[in-house]
Amino acid sequence: MSEKINSNQEPLLRVEDLCQYFPMGKKELHAVDHVSFDIKKGEVFGLVGESGCGKTTTGRSIIKIYDITGGNIYFKGQRICAGSRTYIDAIKEAKKQAKAEISSLSADTKVNPGNKAINDEKIDKIKATLAVAVSENKSEIKKARHDQKNVDSEYAAKLVKELEEKYFPLISAAEEQGDKEKLASLKKEFRKKKHIAKNTRLVTQIQMIFQDPVASLNPRMTVREIIAEGLVINGIKDQAYIDEKVYEILELVGLVREHAGRYPHEFSGGQKQRIGIARSVIMNPEMIIADEPVSALDVSIQAQVINLLNDLKEKLGLTILFIAHDLSVVKYFSDRIGVMYFGKMVELASSDELFAHPLHPYTRSLLSAIPLPDPISEKKRTRMVYNAIAEHDYSVDKPSMREVAPGHFVYCNDAEEIRYKEQLKNE
Amino acid sequence: MSNILEVKNLKISFRTNNGTVKAVRNISFNLEKGETLAIVGESGSGKSVTSKAILGILAGNSIVESGEIFYDGMDLLKISEEDMCKIRGDKISMIFQDPLSSLDPIVKIGKQITEAMLLKNKLSRKMGRIEFNDMLKILKENMVEATGNKDDINAEIEEIITTFDKFNIEAITLEHAYNSALTRSEELLGYIADKRFLVSKNQKVDVKAMLAYIASQLKDIRNPFLTSEYDEVITAFIEEIGNVKSSYVAPKFEGASVDTPENVVELLERLDKFLAGVNSGIRPNFFRIGYFKYKKPEAVLDGKDINALNDDALKFLMDNFMVRFLELEKLAVINSFNRSLEGKKKIIPMLQEAKKFFLENDFNKADAIGKIDELSNVLDESIDLLQFNKDSIAYTFKSSINAAVNKYFTSIVHNEKEEKRFARQSARREALISKGKTVDWKVVPKTVYEIDDLRNNIALVIDRLYDKYVVDVNAADLVDFDAMSVALVDFFKDKASQVVYRVTKRTAKERAIKLMEEVGIPEPRIRYNQYPFEFSGGMRQRIVIAIALAANPDILICDEPTTALDVTIQAQILELINKLKKERNLSVIFITHDLGVVANMADKIAVMYAGKIVEQGTSEDVFYDPRHPYTWALLSSMPDLDTNEKLDAIPGTPPNMIYPPVGDAFAARNKYALKIDFEEQPPMFEVSETHSAATWLLHPDAPKVELPKIITQRIEKMKKGGQSNE
Repeated sequence: MSEKINSNQEPLLRVEDLCQYFPMGKKELHAVDHVSFDIKKGEVFGLVGESGCGKTTTGRSIIKIYDITGGNIYFKGQRICAGSRTYIDAIKEAKKQAKAEISSLSADTKVNPGNKAINDEKIDKIKATLAVAVSENKSEIKKARHDQKNVDSEYAAKLVKELEEKYFPLISAAEEQGDKEKLASLKKEFRKKKHIAKNTRLVTQIQMIFQDPVASLNPRMTVREIIAEGLVINGIKDQAYIDEKVYEILELVGLVREHAGRYPHEFSGGQKQRIGIARSVIMNPEMIIADEPVSALDVSIQAQVINLLNDLKEKLGLTILFIAHDLSVVKYFSDRIGVMYFGKMVELASSDELFAHPLHPYTRSLLSAIPLPDPISEKKRTRMVYNAIAEHDYSVDKPSMREVAPGHFVYCNDAEEIRYKEQLKNE
Repeated sequence: MSNILEVKNLKISFRTNNGTVKAVRNISFNLEKGETLAIVGESGSGKSVTSKAILGILAGNSIVESGEIFYDGMDLLKISEEDMCKIRGDKISMIFQDPLSSLDPIVKIGKQITEAMLLKNKLSRKMGRIEFNDMLKILKENMVEATGNKDDINAEIEEIITTFDKFNIEAITLEHAYNSALTRSEELLGYIADKRFLVSKNQKVDVKAMLAYIASQLKDIRNPFLTSEYDEVITAFIEEIGNVKSSYVAPKFEGASVDTPENVVELLERLDKFLAGVNSGIRPNFFRIGYFKYKKPEAVLDGKDINALNDDALKFLMDNFMVRFLELEKLAVINSFNRSLEGKKKIIPMLQEAKKFFLENDFNKADAIGKIDELSNVLDESIDLLQFNKDSIAYTFKSSINAAVNKYFTSIVHNEKEEKRFARQSARREALISKGKTVDWKVVPKTVYEIDDLRNNIALVIDRLYDKYVVDVNAADLVDFDAMSVALVDFFKDKASQVVYRVTKRTAKERAIKLMEEVGIPEPRIRYNQYPFEFSGGMRQRIVIAIALAANPDILICDEPTTALDVTIQAQILELINKLKKERNLSVIFITHDLGVVANMADKIAVMYAGKIVEQGTSEDVFYDPRHPYTWALLSSMPDLDTNEKLDAIPGTPPNMIYPPVGDAFAARNKYALKIDFEEQPPMFEVSETHSAATWLLHPDAPKVELPKIITQRIEKMKKGGQSNE
């Protein structure tokens, strides 16, 4: 697995400075606050944290359920989400700074009228740079809004263009030959493919599995309709093809053909979750966002679903963003893990590294809370309590995400970075 | 340690449109005082049904086919709803799975916590009085009998009993006065704390009204045992409050400065300190002082040092009353015990005979009833009424045997309706098959009871009592009567205090706030007036725990209390339940599907599958030496931090319990299943004294089976880890 990742270093998904704020009266709720990570192709990236820390919001922002507030998300090198808040903040900051500088200069002019000429010149300069900065940021905002809105249509246009490039020479060749039958069939094929290409969206290559299998399936649709819905929306009308595809997927996830005609309430919890997985896999996605897919299930069924996801990952070469709060499951399933706390990513490392050398105190407290099937050690276990205010002093020294060991990032400031590095060395 | 709750041969099924679902199939377990029993199993294995049966909140379509749940001399399955109300929530309470759905969204948290306290209080006082009087009457009768019914001694006994009753009442009244003064001062403390909190947050406080209220409350905080020195202080305080009040000028217009004057703040601070001192003072022993006061009503107790008073009263009590009382009481206890022993000796052969009668003869209803009456007459003699720890088996014998016999008679009657239905359905099925159609339904079989089974049921009830009595008779020489009589006096005191304990709205509020503090809710005074939606998931679960603890129960049933919560909160809640268990000596039944959670909590574990207990043992037994394949499967299907290989998922789904499998229910999903597993149900095989499992693999003839690798590895590692930690 690790070789595969290394051979393909280009990240499939790149999240840059993602901010997702929700308005809450006059204030704003910072659900996700400057979170950055990459997910490489074929990798399972785990996202853990307690409820309300923004894991699910991150996942939902990626598939564009929300319009993000700030930051960028790139999928296969293409920007699929872009927020404007960073640029707006930059403009505000530049204006504020310029204002302060100008006022100090004009105060200076009042005291020493002799400097007026020089100061005026300086002020003009500041104004000019401000104007440049503002216009630059404004254009960025424009670009971001354009990308946010048009990424899918541009992608579809690109696909259509490719199709045209492929079919136009064939069609013209057929015209020249005067082969009417071939021409007609080619044109029909081209029209069909163009229709599908027009409806294709880039974001459909990322699919989501939801937490609650009961709530995420429409009770009034049969399993066939639920699974085929994506295909239908995508413009496929060939019923035989759809059925074939649905049966294929059903067998892939461990159900049988006969299940296609049933309704969701006729299935057990584990089977319902399998239907949810089938629905997300049918669109041939490159990536799946699994939002707590096993939390609502019994222990024995959990294992079935995890094994299924593992098989699918290998068969289809999926990349998975795995969101969960059960740490032992995340550890078992993920290659790399990001720990979130109140909208911030506090630690990011490969799963073995994270569990062997947890550095951030919050990660430590999380790890200390995992219950294990071992009565003797359980009775000795002491849970660490994380108190963000008592633990860190960020009044002067501002924290940021830093790499303390290769591939191991921690959210810390200078003093803590030194401490963490020493800690790693001693271990 | 004694069993506080015993579940015996419990069978529960549910009537549905498709047939009867056998949810619980013959399970038995015991719960000891101060112990945690974890019931583990998949959803649908009958864990929740069991717990609901204990609380008597089964759904309307349920049928309790057989079994007993013994608690405090009662069979919870056979008592009336009225009696159940006295137990439910009061003695046995429950924490539900989803904290959101078990709280009322439109009622404030405070009200929800105090509601039960206020409702239960009146009832509990009434019951306390009745129990007190009944027990006293029995004691008197026994004293008279023990001393040979002589007139002079009878007169003395009469006097002693009245004295005991009266001075207990005296003590009650005194204690009541003291308590109410104490609660007043506690309330006032709370009130002052509220106001001081407001002042510290710069909120507006109506100073005049506040001072008037404090003065009026202070006047009530007076009783002999808060001594005269307090009296002076209180008078001084009231005077001072009056002065401050008259000198205080309220701001003239809205929006003026809301600062509370400094002298008021300082006064509040001093009051707070004084009242805290009052509450933490030494508590007088009212049992002793009550007697003193009863004998010498004119004595002035006011102003005495409480320690000295306690000692003097004790001496007075011992010299004049208690020694003689204890002497007589012991005689009474011995008398009652001996009488019941006689009764037991008498009833033992009768029980044997009755067993023969029910097993061997064909009996008609009148005979059976006569036999039962005969037995129960002697049974009444054999019960030691002065034993306040009630003997569940003897007390419930009558209802159990009546139920068993009634069932016998109702079941042997030819059930025409059922026969007709069966004939009709079979005919229809035959007709369909003869037409060459595929029939995908089965005929629901006739509910036929084996006569032998029914008779055995009756014999079982008799056997239970017989075994118990034989043990009792053999151990008769080892009884410590001194301890018994002291315990009896404690029982009287306990009942008396139950009668006194009155909960008003205000005291209920104080208790609720204390409880909220106990379960770890910060700023309970503010939280008290909030609605459930203002709480996070973990906080809501804490509230539910606080409500469950409000009535100070003996048994706490936790039905998946942490399934809806995430890891850190889960750990906190588990720690909280463990802490409360230790502090209050609670017995806990903990229901979950996650074995990981259980390791820290449980003393004993019962693994349930398809309505049966398949493995039972201490937590060490189950985790380090699991024997049933289902336990193996549960253990190996959960990843731990070192698991890398593929998980051993349990294939398939639990069986349909309308048609429970003939053999071992787990056989179809079990890769270790033997042939016999599909044919016959395995009995419980004992592995050790505490550990047993129902699997044919433990039969001496069974082939040796290796544990799954993942478990052996884990156990090895755990054992190593455990040693290195020590």
